[in-house]
Amino acid sequence: MSPVVEKMTSRERVMAALAGEPVDRPPVCTPTNVATVELMDLVDAPFPDANRDGEMNARLAATAYTELGFDTIAPYFSIIQESSALGCDMQWEQKDNWPTVRMSNPIWKGSSDVKIPAGFLEHPDAKAITDSISILKKEFGDDVAVVGKTMGPWTLAYHVFGVEPFLLGTVDDPAETMKSLEALKEITILYGQAQIDAGADVLTIPDHATGDLVSGEYYKRFLMEMHQEIEEELSVPLILHICGATVDRMPYIAETGMAAFHFDSKNDPVEAMAAVNGKIRLVGNINNPTTLYARGPEEVRAEVSAALDAGVQLIAPECAIPLKTKLENLLEIPAAIEDWVAERGLN
Amino acid sequence: MPIMHEGLAREFEFVSSPGERKHISEAIDDTAPIMQEMAYELIVGNNTEVDRLTQEALADGFTANQLLDDGLLNGMAIVGVKFRDNLIFVPEVLVAARAMKAGMVHIEPILSASGAKPAGTIIMGTVKGDLHDIGKNLCIMMLRGAGFIVHDIGVDSSPDDFIDAAEEHDAEVVGMSALLTTTMPNMGRTIAAFEDMGLRDEVRIMVGGAPVTQDFADEMGADAYGDNAVDAVDKAKELVLLLAELKSS
Repeated sequence: MSPVVEKMTSRERVMAALAGEPVDRPPVCTPTNVATVELMDLVDAPFPDANRDGEMNARLAATAYTELGFDTIAPYFSIIQESSALGCDMQWEQKDNWPTVRMSNPIWKGSSDVKIPAGFLEHPDAKAITDSISILKKEFGDDVAVVGKTMGPWTLAYHVFGVEPFLLGTVDDPAETMKSLEALKEITILYGQAQIDAGADVLTIPDHATGDLVSGEYYKRFLMEMHQEIEEELSVPLILHICGATVDRMPYIAETGMAAFHFDSKNDPVEAMAAVNGKIRLVGNINNPTTLYARGPEEVRAEVSAALDAGVQLIAPECAIPLKTKLENLLEIPAAIEDWVAERGLN
Repeated sequence: MPIMHEGLAREFEFVSSPGERKHISEAIDDTAPIMQEMAYELIVGNNTEVDRLTQEALADGFTANQLLDDGLLNGMAIVGVKFRDNLIFVPEVLVAARAMKAGMVHIEPILSASGAKPAGTIIMGTVKGDLHDIGKNLCIMMLRGAGFIVHDIGVDSSPDDFIDAAEEHDAEVVGMSALLTTTMPNMGRTIAAFEDMGLRDEVRIMVGGAPVTQDFADEMGADAYGDNAVDAVDKAKELVLLLAELKSS
């Protein structure tokens, strides 16, 4: 960050930060999403419908900018749109719960089953997001960065094969696992490109090879090259998102060529910055369940400062937030960034 | 006598804390070679061998309790340590659990028929809105191995599901799991529901799951936090004792 940078729009700020260029202040981002029940009520766009209707989706997504003052709008709230379009057994839930895939009823057993259905991009649950991106781009495109999202092959594998069968397969037959991931990668690229075509400025790639489930070596063995390939195929800046403890795999993630890594509060921001060694930008890592959900603005402010002090380039909640998160805590994030910058005479 | 099985001795070297080394070595030392072999095959996830060894040991006259304590649980103790210390991760634990199940298939019916007093009764479930069950299932397997009666109410369990099951089975402990930061608050809502129903003093409540922490457990008002499946067993034992003390005082 440089004190000489002129005031930027949110979009300029995010794109510059992702490119490693100077910014007027660190952006506040939502690589996953910040929808809450309060915001749903405010714009009459409740879950689950807001996940399935492009217009309603855009209305709710826009609140990240219009109500919270974030620098990004991210219309893909969950992690299940592609999986629904692939035919997974879905549980759409109600307003106060996230839609989810019933992974105990997997649709596929192995790599030979992986087929992208004809009309995949036209499936209502895939199209809701591309429609929403088109609307948001038209309305906010000059001012705010529109962040799309396309699931990585590892996350798709959990959904289509079931978590336990998939993870057991990584031990029993790693070659078959690679084949499956290669096949699923095509879905990641297809849906990502569709969102770029619709106007997405940035894409988040959630791919939950988390330290809570698998080792850093697993990431290197199964995913690092695949993520490099995805980065080469998709032309906008990519933000990789992996929850949980990830410091052990950050040096590998830093080699993917992606613009940024969205990391979890389980990782100390100073250690995380050291692990990536300047090779990738970091986005994060305000704790959701304890700080944003259960505590107050003071604790939020302290975490924002800790991340900024460590050099984290883009500030964000660590992951999709609990739907009953208090707005005052979310509003505190941009306010805390402004104050941090002002206190240091950087704007 | 030191650990005789070469593979098991190698695996034991992953246990670094002096206290744990003492505890686990005391449990393994002097066990029969077939038990040590069974523990080793479980650690490396060889379910076919565990299945074979379990049947062979039963045919040789070993008791179901010996197989469980000297073979399977000794293996799982080392798996638990390796998992906690990030030496292995969930895929490796899953193959070990699959091996344990291969043994339990032969042992469980014998233990059930023996009429031994259970260590306690526990309700286990994943909270509302969360469909993940690997962690919960690992805990259930370890709890059953440790002698608890466990009623699994499955995934996506509402506060009422937990309350109904606790009342129906007169449970001492309720265990809740969550894998998502978005669903973790449902642990607090479930605990509040027990309070609202006037049942909070009737049960002890423990929570766990990848994103759950001791801080969060305290914030939600849980009685205990289990960091992993082995820890969950220890916490469950403590909670059963605690509840008995509370009720007798």
